[in-house]
Amino acid sequence: MSRFSLVGAVVAALLFSSGCNSGKTPSKDNSAANLAFITNGVADFWEHAQAGAETAGKELDVDVSVIMPSSITDQTRKIEDLLVRGTDGIAVSPIDPANQVEILNKAAAQTNLITHDSDAPDTNRLVYIGMDNFDAGLLCGQTLREAMPDGGKVMIFVGRLDQDNAKRRRQGFIDGFLNRKADRERSDAAGDVLTSEDQKYTVLGTMTDQFDRARAKANGEDALTRHSDLAAMVGLFEYNPPLILEALDRAGKLGQVKVMAFDENDATLQGIKDGNVVATVVQNPYQYGYKSIQVLNALHKENKSVVPENKFIDIPARVINKSNVDEFWQEIKDRLNK
Amino acid sequence: MGDKTPAPADPSKSTGSPGRFSAQGAKIWGIFGLLVAICIYTALSSDRFLRVDNVENLVHRTALFGILSIGAAFVIITSGIDLSIGSLVCLVGVLLPFLLTRYDWPAAAGVAAVIGLSVAIGITHGLLITRMRLQPFVVTLCGLLLYRGIARGITDDRSQGFGIEFKDLRSIATSQLPIFGSGDDVFHLPATTLILIIVAVAAAVFLNKTIYGRYLLALGNNPDAARYSGINVNHMTLLAYVICSTLAGLGGMLFVLDINAAQPSDFGNFYELYAIAAAVLGGCSLRGGEGSIAGVLIGSAVMVVLSNAINLVHPDYQNIEFAIIGGVILIGVIVDELARRFVASRREAARHAGQ
Repeated sequence: MSRFSLVGAVVAALLFSSGCNSGKTPSKDNSAANLAFITNGVADFWEHAQAGAETAGKELDVDVSVIMPSSITDQTRKIEDLLVRGTDGIAVSPIDPANQVEILNKAAAQTNLITHDSDAPDTNRLVYIGMDNFDAGLLCGQTLREAMPDGGKVMIFVGRLDQDNAKRRRQGFIDGFLNRKADRERSDAAGDVLTSEDQKYTVLGTMTDQFDRARAKANGEDALTRHSDLAAMVGLFEYNPPLILEALDRAGKLGQVKVMAFDENDATLQGIKDGNVVATVVQNPYQYGYKSIQVLNALHKENKSVVPENKFIDIPARVINKSNVDEFWQEIKDRLNK
Repeated sequence: MGDKTPAPADPSKSTGSPGRFSAQGAKIWGIFGLLVAICIYTALSSDRFLRVDNVENLVHRTALFGILSIGAAFVIITSGIDLSIGSLVCLVGVLLPFLLTRYDWPAAAGVAAVIGLSVAIGITHGLLITRMRLQPFVVTLCGLLLYRGIARGITDDRSQGFGIEFKDLRSIATSQLPIFGSGDDVFHLPATTLILIIVAVAAAVFLNKTIYGRYLLALGNNPDAARYSGINVNHMTLLAYVICSTLAGLGGMLFVLDINAAQPSDFGNFYELYAIAAAVLGGCSLRGGEGSIAGVLIGSAVMVVLSNAINLVHPDYQNIEFAIIGGVILIGVIVDELARRFVASRREAARHAGQ
């Protein structure tokens, strides 16, 4: 059993030395605050947030680490390791807030914890910075409805539905598109075919791709194959609309099927300019990043006044269509080049 | 082929030449050296690496991956492979909270169901491989696709979690036992590590001290020779797949109890490859017939510590985490091969000197 003594030796060696090293302060004294901005995955969308977080970091002279985890397990591990490494504040977009209460509260107990992009209202997070995803979805649905006066069938495409922001955005879209009474608590199953009261507008279903881009494109192609009467396709995550455009291009149906988008991928904006995309509802990820770091820095300096009474800092969504796309595109180009 | 032969061949003939043990020993020392080197580097670069809470995190994570890796080692020792580990982790990971929260099953029934399912999956793999003569790679590749697909199907692709319930059940994976130290420096042994120790000791005793363990090694080394010497190759192969799937199921259960939620789409993604990497790093040969439990545990620890080191020391390098892990494993395997050749040539030289 000498092999086991080896493992024992490793553990013992680690343990012995552990006693001597523990108990140091989280950040180097008198140096800049050390703040972390954690996303819920890897996407171009987050590059805008990263730019915002890093710009704020420079302006405020604080250290900012932007962390992009690949899964809920990875996100949990990254937070644990961050707490060990020592941090003066964490802004996180939790992947599954209802089931991450423990780790988020553990983080909240050790440092300033805020949420961005997707909230975790049942935790001890200090504030949520983001938009109301239901309202943004509603705006998206209403905009597409207006562009389809004769009605028609729409398919929804999204990365995954187990994420709070995706759920709300989708429910908002459906209510807006079908012109139903807005109900934030409703939960329609992904496969349900939903039709408006006047029978003119139909949601055929929701297809998910788990952030697998090849899969996302295949979903678009398959929807076109299956539903020859598809009138519109809506992509709820940043990378969905460009892949919808790819699928349409491949099928030779660019311009024939209406595309409604979310977020500001270059291909989406180009699609608006070319007339292949009706409009896109944009969040302001740059502001998520910027504001998160600003708020964390204030909290680190014991300035609690940055947190409003309702613990929600609203960064509202807006609609970008052909009339304002050039101006908007220039604005985000300037940001990323900063 | 399945006739029982009461008197098996002396297993030491096929697996137990003294040279094999020293080569295996060299492998373990090699990988142990790699682990120590990474630990020293990280400890010098970060004063937090050796903090009690981080060490607790590390032994906890090593336990979770170690359990999967020991299972992988059993099939690798028989020169088989199991690619379905990650998907089985996912299936068990979503099924347990699904049964408990959606259908209000009692915790014990849920645990029994998922472990029973894992055993059944192992038996199915084993039967397909031994009776139908399908290749292990193909059978378990189909398993990889099947189990994840099923997991996503039954849950409607929705995340499954325990919320704030089932604290008692979750304590299997989350509780910690204070061991030694005082004040803030008390080291708590994670329950998962205790489970790993039990599994590892049982696995090592089985592999090294029982005739069946010898059979496994013999059959991995040379299945025909094993068959002719009277070993029931089919039964032993089946057993290896059952052990692997059962440990994957146990691991999946502990993962979800620890993380509290599982997303059908990505829970356990790539874990079969981590498990295989840890087993190979720990001295298992994919050609079969070789492997030690201690090596596999150290292999798992290397993977876990590497990831932790990147988080603590070089968070900027997170994007290339896979590349770093891949590079380090490759270096480990190369050094290991060189060490093996060195030992072999020394032995050769010694033999010549002795003549």
